[in-house]
Amino acid sequence: MKFYLFSFLLLFSIHSSTEYKFETVLDNLDDAWSFVFISEDKILFTEMPGKLKIASLSDKSIIDVENIPEVEYSSQGGLSEVILDPDFKFNNRIYISYSAKSDNNKITLFLSSAQLVNNRLVNSKVIFKAVASRKSSAHMGAKIAFLSDGSLLLTSGDGYDHREKAQKLDNHFGKIIRINTDGSIPQDNPFILNKNALPEIYSYGHRNMQGLIVTSDGLIYEHEHGPKGGDELNIIQPSLNYGWPAITYGIDYSGAVISPFTQKEGMEQPLLYWNPSIAPSDMIYYEKDLYPEFNKSFLITALVSRDVKQVNLQKPDQKQKSLFTELNLRLRNIQDSPKGYIYLLSDGPNNKLIKVLPKK
Amino acid sequence: MKITKYPFAVFSAALFTVMLITPISSISNLIWLISVDMPVGVISSLEVLFFDFQRLGILLYGVIIIGFAIAFTVAGMLAKYTRLSGKYLYAMAGAFAIGTAMYLMVELLFDSELLGGNRTFIGKILHWIAGFFGGYFYYSLIVKDYKYTFIVRYLGVLYAYFILGFVLNWVFTPEVAAADFGFILKDLTDTAQNALLRDFTSFFIATFIFSLLGVITLNPAWFFSAGIIYFGAAFFNLFAIFIHGTEYNQIYIGEIFLGLWPTILALIILKKNKYLKLL
Repeated sequence: MKFYLFSFLLLFSIHSSTEYKFETVLDNLDDAWSFVFISEDKILFTEMPGKLKIASLSDKSIIDVENIPEVEYSSQGGLSEVILDPDFKFNNRIYISYSAKSDNNKITLFLSSAQLVNNRLVNSKVIFKAVASRKSSAHMGAKIAFLSDGSLLLTSGDGYDHREKAQKLDNHFGKIIRINTDGSIPQDNPFILNKNALPEIYSYGHRNMQGLIVTSDGLIYEHEHGPKGGDELNIIQPSLNYGWPAITYGIDYSGAVISPFTQKEGMEQPLLYWNPSIAPSDMIYYEKDLYPEFNKSFLITALVSRDVKQVNLQKPDQKQKSLFTELNLRLRNIQDSPKGYIYLLSDGPNNKLIKVLPKK
Repeated sequence: MKITKYPFAVFSAALFTVMLITPISSISNLIWLISVDMPVGVISSLEVLFFDFQRLGILLYGVIIIGFAIAFTVAGMLAKYTRLSGKYLYAMAGAFAIGTAMYLMVELLFDSELLGGNRTFIGKILHWIAGFFGGYFYYSLIVKDYKYTFIVRYLGVLYAYFILGFVLNWVFTPEVAAADFGFILKDLTDTAQNALLRDFTSFFIATFIFSLLGVITLNPAWFFSAGIIYFGAAFFNLFAIFIHGTEYNQIYIGEIFLGLWPTILALIILKKNKYLKLL
């Protein structure tokens, strides 16, 4: 009997073997949301309840970073993105986005800079506070990216209940923000001379943007959750209106129509959209050598479709590939290490960090 | 018929209230779209109103039935054991049920205001008023006795209401409709897209019209026609699975349900007209 059972299991394991092998590098994380490589072995990662931690991937040791700002951990809010300054090696500076209560006791999005010294944040400074107060922390956005000129982009989501404000320029709901690292406003921002607009706004008409990257050729790509259907991948240019919620390819979660229109002059069309929704959660543009099959492709993690979508815009005829489905996990974040290894972060409580081993 | 009168009055009042509530969200949305210079016209307005009535309405219908069932039971007991009575008691109960349901949907379930029309103060007042009229309508239903035709027609309208969702989806948003059935429309060839769209659309429109004709004429043949089509779909679904080896698709359960519903209505009409002596 044992022999048959063993044979069956062996047979099953052969059948379930996959194209890629995976290694769980860290486990039992407390709703980790984003991570960044300090070196090939060390990562800095956030946990939504308000923890910033440093982990060694070789010995799996984890150290808490101290002196983290107080965050509002509820719904989709908490300590969100962390990125390193391009000169981190010299200035130890990092940037974190998070939701917290504002002076009016409502929740909004914050962006802080601080120096990471001896596992402690020092010289912390709030460099941006969104004019986007809301009762619940739904649709915060909170993704950060550096432009090649050293300024910062930050996504500020539409807050769900405030979606119509994404079309107005007097607030930060549904906007991509551009500021300098000290919190000042770049003088070439597109709406800086518009008295009716907030000067930090770079583009508008967005929903819940959870993917933001700047490629080596300086192009900005963003993806955002649509409602029920209508997730989008966009190429971002200053001053442009991306249409939400006046045009959309999705309907509301309640089934209600958000807009019967999918296009209008003066509003940008996405590079591509997903219907049904995949719930895109993060992305990278892979430009390294370890996985030649991914070269010059976007790798987009997805929560609902539980996979990574490989999108190659240089080969528009090529269908999107669905990768790593065998993990069957809601995937929250994706990064490539300095050497080019791909790491995936699963979603939710007790989540884990997984290394994707290249094909031999 | 007296016992069944109360649940049917709750179901009917809830449907009536859905008809009052969904346009609040639709119209507030259309007003906003006009304010940002979107080319809102008659067709796009009707599209929004019909879709919201069907898709948003189904969600609300469930919520309102629960709210009304509790509120009208309490109102009924108050009417029985106190001096309070009459239509305004039920009307107030209806308003309170809607206000409470809208509040709890945000605080307990979604943490966000799912109904666009309920985000403003005026919108909230309009929802309470809709509940008030819903309660008033409930009272007007329970003070009268009804023939079986009322129940048959009510269930026939409800059936058509469910089918209307499929019709609207296939006519206006075929990509979404196809996705609900497991197709990614863009991935199909043009010929396959055409076949899918025309066949599915005519399938659902036919059954929608048959059920409405059944409601209007009370001729059981119309209800039977709708039932036969869905039973056929269920039968050939299983045929495809077991004879042609396609993937298992449990949608046949829904198809049997959608076949049984009008068939039962047709049999009730036959029985009441003494055509079916065995029943």
